[in-house]
Amino acid sequence: MRQTSGAPSAAAEACLVTFDTNRLDRMKSRVRDGEHKRFRTDTVPEVLSECDREGLSWPRRAARLIGRICEAEGQHPVIESDDRIVFLRTIRTVPPIYEPQTWSQLTKDRTLHELGPISNICADWGMVLSQGLEGRRQAAAKARESIQDDPDSLEFLDCAIETIDAVLALANSYAQEARRLGRNDLADTLAHVPAQRPRCFYEALQALRILHAVVWMGGHYHVGLGRFDQYMWPYLQQDLDSGRLTLAAAEELLAEFFISLNKDSDLYPGVQQGDNGQSLMLGGSSREGADAVNELTWMAIRVAHYTNMIDPKINLRITPHADLSLLTLATELTRKGLGFPQYSNDAVVIPALVEHGYELEDARDYAVAACWEFLIPGKGMEVVNIGAVSMPAAVDAGIRKGLGQGENFEQICQRIAEDIRQQLQQVVDAYRKLFLPPAPYYSVLMDGCLERARDLAHGLKYNNFGVHGAGSANAVDALAAVRRFVFEDKSVQPQELLAALEANFEGYEPLRRKLAEDGPKVGNNDAAADALMTKLFEWFADACEAIQDNGRGGRVRPGTGSAMYYVWLARGKEGMREPTVGATAEGRKKGEFLSANLAPSNNAPIRGPISVLQSFAKIPYRRVFNGGPITMELSGSVFSDAEAVGKVAMLVRTFAQLGCQQLQLNTVNLETLLDAKKHPEKHKNLIVRVWGWSGYFCELGPEYQDHVIARHLYAM
Amino acid sequence: MKSGVVFDIREFALHDGPGIRTSVFLKGCPLRCSWCHNPEGWIRDPQIIHGQAGDRLIGKDYTSEELAALLNEQADILRANEGGVTFSGGEPLEQAEFVTEVCDRLDNLHIVFDTSGDGTETALRLVAGKVDLFYYDLKLIDSTAHKHFTGGDNALILSNLRVLSSLGASFVIRVPLVPGVTDTDENLKAIAETVRNLPGLVRVDLLPYNRAAGGKYSNLGLKFRPLYDEQRELRVNAEPFEKHRVPVRIAAPDMAIRKPVPA
Repeated sequence: MRQTSGAPSAAAEACLVTFDTNRLDRMKSRVRDGEHKRFRTDTVPEVLSECDREGLSWPRRAARLIGRICEAEGQHPVIESDDRIVFLRTIRTVPPIYEPQTWSQLTKDRTLHELGPISNICADWGMVLSQGLEGRRQAAAKARESIQDDPDSLEFLDCAIETIDAVLALANSYAQEARRLGRNDLADTLAHVPAQRPRCFYEALQALRILHAVVWMGGHYHVGLGRFDQYMWPYLQQDLDSGRLTLAAAEELLAEFFISLNKDSDLYPGVQQGDNGQSLMLGGSSREGADAVNELTWMAIRVAHYTNMIDPKINLRITPHADLSLLTLATELTRKGLGFPQYSNDAVVIPALVEHGYELEDARDYAVAACWEFLIPGKGMEVVNIGAVSMPAAVDAGIRKGLGQGENFEQICQRIAEDIRQQLQQVVDAYRKLFLPPAPYYSVLMDGCLERARDLAHGLKYNNFGVHGAGSANAVDALAAVRRFVFEDKSVQPQELLAALEANFEGYEPLRRKLAEDGPKVGNNDAAADALMTKLFEWFADACEAIQDNGRGGRVRPGTGSAMYYVWLARGKEGMREPTVGATAEGRKKGEFLSANLAPSNNAPIRGPISVLQSFAKIPYRRVFNGGPITMELSGSVFSDAEAVGKVAMLVRTFAQLGCQQLQLNTVNLETLLDAKKHPEKHKNLIVRVWGWSGYFCELGPEYQDHVIARHLYAM
Repeated sequence: MKSGVVFDIREFALHDGPGIRTSVFLKGCPLRCSWCHNPEGWIRDPQIIHGQAGDRLIGKDYTSEELAALLNEQADILRANEGGVTFSGGEPLEQAEFVTEVCDRLDNLHIVFDTSGDGTETALRLVAGKVDLFYYDLKLIDSTAHKHFTGGDNALILSNLRVLSSLGASFVIRVPLVPGVTDTDENLKAIAETVRNLPGLVRVDLLPYNRAAGGKYSNLGLKFRPLYDEQRELRVNAEPFEKHRVPVRIAAPDMAIRKPVPA
C-alpha cells in the first residue's frame, strides 16, 4: 500500500461509544501522565524476618506474603473523588520471602520458569465471581473436613483460606475508607464484593479489579483476563434487561475498568514495558458449541476503541462465517494502531486442541495466554513458552555441514530434522527439572484446586509445555534457495555458498542479492517454498510428539510464535539456551533480524497479503497448535475510508476461510515511527505492536524500535 | 499466445475497484503526464531501477496463460469478497490483445480496466467486451493545455469515451486534481459538461494530488520537473458535478493538502 503522511481522518476519530466521556477523558489523561503514582511508596512490608523467625514452610510464606501486602495496602486505600471502580497498588515491589542464599539453595538443580513465580496462565474468573470469595472459603472448609492424615493438603487449604481472608480484609479497609468519605454506594459495593456473588455488572467489575490485582501483588505476572464477554455477560445482561443500566452507563463502567488495568503497568515485570499479558478474549462459541458473541463482545471493542490504551489486549475468536459487521467494528480498533484485536480461528484451534487430548467443551472455552498461546482458563497449568527451536539455526547448520560434506538435499533435510529434535530435547530436558513455587491465592481462583486440596503448582487438568518454532520464514527461504540454486539449476556452487556465508557475504554481494531476491519465498503462495515450510513444521511436530511425558504429565505443543526470539536468535542473549545464527542462505547478513512469528522474511519480495495468507494456510495446524500469529503490518493509509475498512474486515474473514490459525494486524505509518525515533517527546502516546503485546514506542529499547521500523519498511 | 510486460502485481489494492482485488500494472504509456507518479510505467521494455538497496529489474514478461494462472490462484477469494482483477498501467490499452487473452482465461472474475483512454478505438472495442467496469481518466478538456501537461492530444481520448458509452459500458470517470492545472473551476465544469449525459457513467472520482508523485524519478535516472507549482493550494471542488447531479466522490486525500474550498 502507499505510505502517506498525515493524521487519521476525522471518521477514524469518531467516538463509537455513547456515554458522555468527560469524566473518563480526565481519568485517562491522569493515568497516562502517571498522576496516581504520587500514592506509591517505597516502604515495603517486612515479610521475610517473620517467616524465618516462625520457620514457615514455603506455602505458608506465600500465604503470609499475600496477607502482609494486602494488610499494608489496606492501610493506605486510594479512593479518588471521581473513581467509581477503586483499588490502586501503592507498594512498588513484591517483598522477598526467602534470603537470596536460601532461595538459591532451594532452587538448586531445578529449573525456574523465567522469574520463578507462576505466570502466563489464566484464572477461572467466572467461577470465582459467581461463588464469591466466601464461596471459595466454604469450598476450602468443606475439603478440609474430609481430609485426615494429610498435612500437606491441610496446610495448602489453611494457606488458601489465609489469602482469602487477607483479600476480604483489604476490601473491608477500602469499604471503610469509602464510608469515611461519604461514598456509601461504593462502601456497600465493597462490603458485598469480592466476598459474595456480584449483584450487578458494576459490582462484578469492582470485584474483578481487586481479585486480579492481588494476583500481581503476590509476584505472579502475565495475569490473563480470559473470556471476559462470557463470564461478565450474565451480570450485564441482567442489568440491561431490568433497566438498571443503560447501554451508555454500562459502557462508561467498562471504560473505567479498562483504564484501571493501565494504572499499575509500571509495576509489572516484563522484557519490555507493555509486555504484561493482560490479554482479554472475546467472541467464539459457548462450551456447548453455540455462537457466544453477545452485546458485551461489541461493547468491549467499542470501549477499547475509546480508551485507546495498551491494556487490556483484545483478542477476538472468529470462524469462517464471522459476521462482517463485527469484523468491521474490530477493524476500526485495528485502525487505532494499538496492534489489536488479535484474531484466532475457532475452526482451526478447537479441533487441534481436541485432537491433543482436550475435552471438546474445554477446547471450546479456550482463551490465550499473555501473547497468543491457547489455554483453558482455570484448567491449564500449562507452561506455554518454555523456549524456542531456532528454525534458522537448524537449517543453517544442516546446510553448512551437509554442503561441506558433499551431501545431497535429502541428507541435508535429515540433518535439519535431527537438529530440530536435539534443540527441542535440550529445552524440554531443562524443563524436566521445572520447579513452580506454591501459589495458594492463585489456586483459589482455579478450577478444583481447593476441592482437591492441591496447589496449582502441582498441576491442573492440562499440564502441557509449549515450544515455538521461531524464525520459520527465514529458515524456509534459506533451504528453498539452496534447493533451487545448488541442487536444481546448479547456478551456485556449494563451496561458493559456504565461503559467502563464512564471509558474511562480504565480497559476495551479487550472490547475496540472487539469494535474497530470486529464490522461492514464503509468503508468495509459492509451492516450492511452502512445501518446505510444511516439512519444517512436520519435523518440529514429529519431535514434539515423540516426547511422551514432559515431566508434569503433559506433552509438548509446537507453536509458530517468535516473541523476543526474532531479536535474540539473530543477535544472541545472555543466558539463552537457544543457538544464535550467523549469515544465512536466504541472503541475510549476520545480526539482521529474523521474521516475527509467521511473516515473510523481512526483505523478501512479496505480492501482498492474500498470498501471505495462502502460504501460511499450509501449515499443519492440527499438529502445530500452540499458537503464534500471522503478523501483518498495514500502513495507516489503508484505512482511508469506510469502504477500505470494510475490505480489511473481508481480509480478516478470508484469513479464517483459508484455514489459518491466528492473525495479528498492526497499523502504523513509517514516517511516524522515524519521527518518533528522532523526536520521542512528540510521540509520547504512540503505541506499536511489538510481539504478542503492544507498548509505547518511546519506551522500547532501541533494538526493538529498529525492528518495528524494519518491519514497516515492508508494510503492505 | 500473446505475452505482455507487467511492472507490478499488487494484491489487496484498496482503491482500484470494488471488493478485494488484485491490480496488474502493465508497462508502457503514450502519455507523459507532468504529475505521473509511476514513471516506471512509461516505456514498454523492462528497465533497471537504481534503489538504495541496489539495482532491480522492473518489468517482467508473462504469457497470458502464466498471468491468468497466477491470478486464478486467488479467484475464489476475490469472488467471495466482491472483488476481482484490475488492469492498470502504464496504459493497458497498449497491450489490449494481451489483456483480452488474459481475461478469456480468468475464472469468472470481475474486471476493472483503468485507462487514460489514449489508445486506438480498435483496442478499446476489443477490451470493452471483456471488462465489467472502466476507470477512465479525464484530466483536461482544453486540448492545448492537455497537450502541454500530458504530452498527448485529447481528441482521441474524448472520442473513445463516446465510443465506450455507445457500447453500453459502465465507467467511473477519474479526475486527478493537480493544483492550478486540473483543479480549476473552468476545467471541472468542462469535465462535468462532457460526462453528465453519458448513459454508462457510474460516478466521478476526484483524486487529490499526491505530493509523493516525484518519489520514483531519480531511481530511474529521471528528473521530476513538474510544469506547475506543487506547493500551490489544491482546490477540491465537487460543486460543478453536484450542480448537474453527477454522482461524485472525493478519494481519500493526502492530509497535508486537505483544506476547505472557499465558498
